[in-house]
Amino acid sequence: MNQGKYTLENACKEFEADLVLYYYGDDSEADHLRVERHCGECERCRRFLEDLQNLLPRMAVPQELPETFWDRYYNEMVEKLALQRERRSWWQNLFTPIRIWALPAFGTAVVAALALFLVFGRAEHKAVPPQIPQEILTDSNSLEFFNSMDLLESLGTLEKNDGPRTEMVRHT
Amino acid sequence: MNQTSLQDLRDEELVALCQSGQGQVFEVLVRRYMEKAFRIALDFTHDAEEAKDLSQDAFLRAFSRIKQFDGRSTFYTWFYRLVVNLCLDYTRRKGRVVWERLEGESDGGIEPARLTDASSSPDQEAMAGETKRRVDLTLEAMPKKQKTAFLLRNHQGLSISDIAKVMKTTEGTVRVYLHRAVAALRQSLVEFV
Repeated sequence: MNQGKYTLENACKEFEADLVLYYYGDDSEADHLRVERHCGECERCRRFLEDLQNLLPRMAVPQELPETFWDRYYNEMVEKLALQRERRSWWQNLFTPIRIWALPAFGTAVVAALALFLVFGRAEHKAVPPQIPQEILTDSNSLEFFNSMDLLESLGTLEKNDGPRTEMVRHT
Repeated sequence: MNQTSLQDLRDEELVALCQSGQGQVFEVLVRRYMEKAFRIALDFTHDAEEAKDLSQDAFLRAFSRIKQFDGRSTFYTWFYRLVVNLCLDYTRRKGRVVWERLEGESDGGIEPARLTDASSSPDQEAMAGETKRRVDLTLEAMPKKQKTAFLLRNHQGLSISDIAKVMKTTEGTVRVYLHRAVAALRQSLVEFV
């Protein structure tokens, strides 16, 4: 192949794939021998192989990089790794002791919250004043009657709670 | 253990030390594979800075996942897979890499790859430049798996079986990818002359 002219000749269709693998040395021993035998007889395939041998290594020419580039690369990498190790150990330190007591603490908190809800939630429910039905609110007479009933009920409750003392007053 | 004796250890021994908590040992693996990792990334990105970032990310990812490495493959095929996956993600994100970047100013002090000898004439240089442009365009237009197989075989020198492990496919499939890639390159150059 001429310098600067990197064309690939056409090979026999049935040998093309084998020639590529032959070039890379990735074929079986039997295929290797078969390709060699064929190239001995076929000018086109021989040229195809020569072109592969010329072109493909040129495409992969490693670019020589200065030593300073690799030194900088390595030093940067070492710094990044140190940072990652530091970050990781920080997280580990933070989480390791927490993990030991986190579960029982979380369980206790949930039980306490449930207990508080049951106690105060019910008390609040009891403290809610009775709702006055809408039909009573619209009629002023009914509302007055309702309020007086409410008052009487409250007096009755007071008397009941204050029973012994009231008895004593009555007695005297 | 000092740095010199660490360098004599095999990859698997170094990985075992990392897994046992000696994270600094990983630096030996960095020294061992930084050039290869960088060059794969450069093949995909055509940009020295991007290649450096991608390959360094691959090392950091490998380090953070080192405990997950179970030794079913070699360290370097496991690591290559990380690099290649990052490169493929990069190409998905960026779309096609513009070939002109190779022809223009060099990035980060790196000269673009050349297909000519230093002694080539101007005509030969022009021809080689055009050839290179076509090769790059063909590579960029190639399906990702074909391109990956070709770059790993032709540029990185990995064996077919290692490429199959890196790409998580069969050796037969890699052979097909490789042949199709070379056939596509051949086609682009045949049309040129």
